[in-house]
Parts: sequence; structure tokens; C-alpha cells
Amino acid sequence: MIQNFEINSKQIDEIKKITTEEKNFRIKNLKLFNEVGFPHKRLEDWKFSDFKNIVDSNFDELDTASVTSNFNKIDLIKDFEHNYIFLVNGNLHSSNFNYEEKNKIKITPFDKSINYQLNKNPLVCLNHALAENGYSLEVDKNYKFKKVLVIYNVFTNDLKNKILNNKNKIKVNENSELHIIEYTVNNSKFRFINNAYENIILEKNSKLKNLYIQKSKNDGFFHKFIKNNLFLNSDYTNLIFSAGPKFHKLDIECDLMAQNAKCNILSALFLNNNEHNEIKTRINHLDSNCKSYQRVKNVLNSNSKGIFQGKIYVKDIAQKTDAYQLSKALLLTDSVEFNSKPELEIYADDVKCSHGSTSGSIDEESLHYLMTRGLNRKDSTKLLIKGFLNDVVEFIKNPSIKNFIETKLDQQINEN
Amino acid sequence: MLEIKNLKASINDKLILKGLNLNIKDGELHAVMGPNGSGKSTLANVLSGKNGYEISGDLKFKGQSLAEIPVEERAQKGIFLAFQYPLEIPGVNTNNFLKTSLNSVRKATGKKELDTLSFLKLVKDKSLELGIDEKILSRQLNVGFSGGEKKKNEILQMKILDPAFSILDETDSGLDIDALKIIAKGVNSSRANNKSFLVITHYQRLLDYIKPDFVHVLSDGKIVKTGCSDLAKELEKTGYKKIN
Repeated sequence: MIQNFEINSKQIDEIKKITTEEKNFRIKNLKLFNEVGFPHKRLEDWKFSDFKNIVDSNFDELDTASVTSNFNKIDLIKDFEHNYIFLVNGNLHSSNFNYEEKNKIKITPFDKSINYQLNKNPLVCLNHALAENGYSLEVDKNYKFKKVLVIYNVFTNDLKNKILNNKNKIKVNENSELHIIEYTVNNSKFRFINNAYENIILEKNSKLKNLYIQKSKNDGFFHKFIKNNLFLNSDYTNLIFSAGPKFHKLDIECDLMAQNAKCNILSALFLNNNEHNEIKTRINHLDSNCKSYQRVKNVLNSNSKGIFQGKIYVKDIAQKTDAYQLSKALLLTDSVEFNSKPELEIYADDVKCSHGSTSGSIDEESLHYLMTRGLNRKDSTKLLIKGFLNDVVEFIKNPSIKNFIETKLDQQINEN
Repeated sequence: MLEIKNLKASINDKLILKGLNLNIKDGELHAVMGPNGSGKSTLANVLSGKNGYEISGDLKFKGQSLAEIPVEERAQKGIFLAFQYPLEIPGVNTNNFLKTSLNSVRKATGKKELDTLSFLKLVKDKSLELGIDEKILSRQLNVGFSGGEKKKNEILQMKILDPAFSILDETDSGLDIDALKIIAKGVNSSRANNKSFLVITHYQRLLDYIKPDFVHVLSDGKIVKTGCSDLAKELEKTGYKKIN
């Protein structure tokens, strides 16, 4: 049990080569974090994920000092050809862009610029105060990636009671396209917290597809805040298959900043064995004719907890906004919990906004139908679960990647 | 093939089948007709092994009691139910489902499982035989199918699984003449000495295309009259009231 967790500003003093401006920004954020501490259920955005309580019941102590770990190479995915980046405990380790024109891609370690906004999420403040690791990726204009980029997000086996804060930036310039799979490989035998911040910038006519998946079940506690800035006619798709860790919260804020920007957020999660998974979104329609689409599917088994908090904000000038949001949960046992909080805040008068949320158990009539064809209850249930998650998987157009994701989902469902 | 003795079935404390007797021999096709609420669908559900019914009496399939046999094992033993309202199963590809289903049945009966190629060939042959567009099989199971497509899909499943005993629960309801002929063709082409059928229907119309060996009238949970196919024609003229 951790009492009054506070970060000492000495830690910021130890960060080398920083400007006074950066130091002040970090100290300001440190103060903001220390005022609240770990976010708790009395904060509206954390009402369903009492992180303070989760930390208290899973950690006896916590340490924010940065780590340097030995990294043993891991097996690359063999299912499809890809470029890759290795992140080790959030730190940029190496990259390989053999399928691409290398002069079109810039990859550097952690971007020190501090043009970040203050944020009321205490974990973002903590990140702003302490993050030293991460990567910055920029794709030159008029360049379409030929192969997918896999980001191997590896955590080593020696991360006992650590909080790792890392910060990434992805910028896709005009008329360019990038497809990323962030593949988290947690080899840690111990519990740790990864608190990441990501800034995604899509310039005019650019496209980014970002898919999240965990290699396997693990004891990690992951929080990631993603800030997206989408410019004219840009197109962002986020596919979330991040079931697996003990705790996972993605907090996605998407600013549709110029006309015809599009944002799709889809998730298909099979949550099992006490997993806690939250997706929180805020889609800001800030200009006219932008489109957002959210489809969140959760299957919950065995004491797991799923949360979707989705807000759509439409500014007064954002006429002809088209925003859609749907959350569906399939509850397999009585021991699970699913919370959904859709919110619309609309100041324009010519918009199309819809949202829906349902949760229910497996349909006995459908089960009976499948069983009359010779399938046992377990296989019929699995088939219905896969069917339930299928419409999100269908968004993956590349057959080998789709097959890879389907196999991962099957593994999760079969462990059931 | 099937022996039913004094079958009583109730659901939520409401008695629906009230002592039903029926004996279907190998190779026979029996039609069960009856007014709404007489217990026809309950009979189909109980034979398929559906949960939720309190059951007493004897139910034997090929000499073996079905009392303790769960739904999927009944299917594996060769009992098939074509649903009155086939369910839509979103996200489940019809072909994949059918292959899993067929292989579950084959596995249970000690037959070798079919690989994808042999399976697809089988499906193609059977669809062609019935005049069903096999494109519907690459769609999600029954999702967005018209009423007729759903029923045809049931008969195609029957042809593919090739069961010993098929129950058709009002498969003819809501069908146009062309679809009706496909259903009839599916049944007639399957008839054999080792196969039996129980066809539940409201109308005599289907029996113009499928010749039953026996026609039974089910009323208030019991079979109240049994005859040959002429009985169906008589019912069409007089209605059920006279029978009661």
C-alpha cells in the first residue's frame, strides 16, 4: 500500500541538458501531479477506473527513476513483411526501414520540444514532468509507406515497481500515408506502470492507420494519452485490440482541425481474468464537414471490467459534422462489469450525431441454433464471440495482417 | 427411427404437450398439422433437445432414449431441425459455420473430417442440385437473408449434414411457389429407406409436393387424428374445428 505518493523535484534537477523553459514546464506539471496524486474515482474522467486504488492494491512501492536494461532480441513477426522500430522500456533502441525510401523518414529519440498543453489528467502531468524517453517519427510529404511499420514496444524482465514515462510524436506530412502496428511485448516478471503520451499530427491529405495489440496476457499497467491533430482532408484510423494487461487505459483526444478530416476509432476486446480496460475518447469537431466514427466492442469474461467513455464535441462553426458512436458489450458471466458513458456536446445546428450503447449476455436462442447443427456449447459460444467482434476485424484490409489479428483474438478466446 | 410415448412437456409451468404418441419408422415421412398453439413447435423444440422444458414420457431415437442427450449430441446422432425462424448470426460466415458443423457431426460419428476443398465441392454440388445460389454461403449466417433465402439455407444445411431424421418446422410458411418447390426437392431427393422426416405445417399446399406416408392432427398437445394424405385435403376444406 502506497501512502501519499509524491514526486520529488530533485528528479527534474537530474535531467540533463534542459532549458530553463523546459525545466519550468516540468516543475509546473510536477506540482499539478502532486496536488492530486494518482487519479481516483472522484475525478469525473476516472470515475470507473480508480487508478489510485488499483495502484494501492497492486504495488507496495513505486519508483520513477529511469532504467537502462539489457535487451535480448525478440522474434520478429513472420506473418507479413514489415519495417520496424524497437522500443525498449519506451526508449528508442533501433529501427529498420528496409522496405522504404529512407530519406523520406526521420526517426529520432525523444523530442525535447515542450509545446504541449497542460492537461487535467494527472498521469499526463506526471508524464510531462518526468518523461525522458520515447521517439519522434516524421514522414516526409508525398510519401506512402510500402509496408506496414511494426513498433515493437518491448518491456524487459526487470521492471519491478517502476513507473516508466515516455513520450512519442508521429507526424505524417502532406499527401503521405503510414500504417503502424504497435505490438506490445511485455517480458517483465514484475508489475510496473507504463505511462505514455503520444502526439499524432496528420497534415493535409495524409493518412495514418494505427493498430494496437498486445503479444500476450501480462501483468503490466498501461496508460496512454494520445493527442491527435488532424488537418484538412486527413484520415486517421485507430484499431484497438489491446486486451491482455492487468490494466489498460487509452485516453484519446482527437482534434478535427480542418475541413473533411476523418477519424475512426474501433476496438475489439476480449477481456478475461480480472483485466481492467478503459477506452476514453474525446472527439473535437472544430471545423465543418468532418467525420468521426467510433465502434467499441467488448466481450467480458471472468471478473473483468470494461469501460468506454466517449465524448463528441461539436464547435459552433463545425456545420455538416457527421459523428457516430456505438458501444456494445457482451457479458459472459455475472462477475463482470461494463460501464459506458456517451456524451454529446453540440453547438452547431446542422449536424448528424448519433450514439448508442448496448450490453447483454450471449443469446440463448442463437446458441441453440448453432448447437442443433452439432456444435457443443463451448464452440458455439466461441463462434458467437468471434462473430460479435468480427465487424471491427473486418476493417483490416490487408489479408495477412487480418489473419494475424484473427489468430491473436482466437488465442485470447480459446484461453477462455 | 423415432418412438414417442405419452410425451408431456411444459414450459414455465404451462403444460403444452399433454401425452403425445407418435411412431415414425425408417423411411417414413410424417406430416403434423394443427391449429396455432396446438404444440407443433414445442414438439420440434423438444425433439431437438432445447433447454427450458420440463419433460416426461418416453422419447427414443433408433432405440435409444433421448432423455439425457444434449442438443449437440442429438444433432451428431442424426437429428436435424429446420427452424421455423432461422436465427441471424452476425459476424459468422455461413460457409465456415457449415464446415465446423459438418465436421463436428463427422467427428462424432467416427468419419474423417473434410478439408476445405472437399467441403466446398460438397457445398457446390448440393447448392446446384437444389438450385440455390451458393453466393449466400459466403455471407454472414442468415444476416440480411430474405425469408425464402433463410428457409432454403435450412434445407441446404439439411442436405449437407445428411441426417437420418429431419424435422421441418413450418419450413413452408411465407414461401413463394418457386421456393416451396426447392424445399420439396430437397426433401424428396433425400428420401431413402434409412431416412425419416417429420414435416410440421399449417397448410396442405406443401403436401402437394411432398407426399407424406401419414398425416397427424395435433390439437391441444395431443395427436387427435391420424390418416393418409387425404386427411390433409379434408382439413383444408373443413378446418380443424370439426376434428375437435
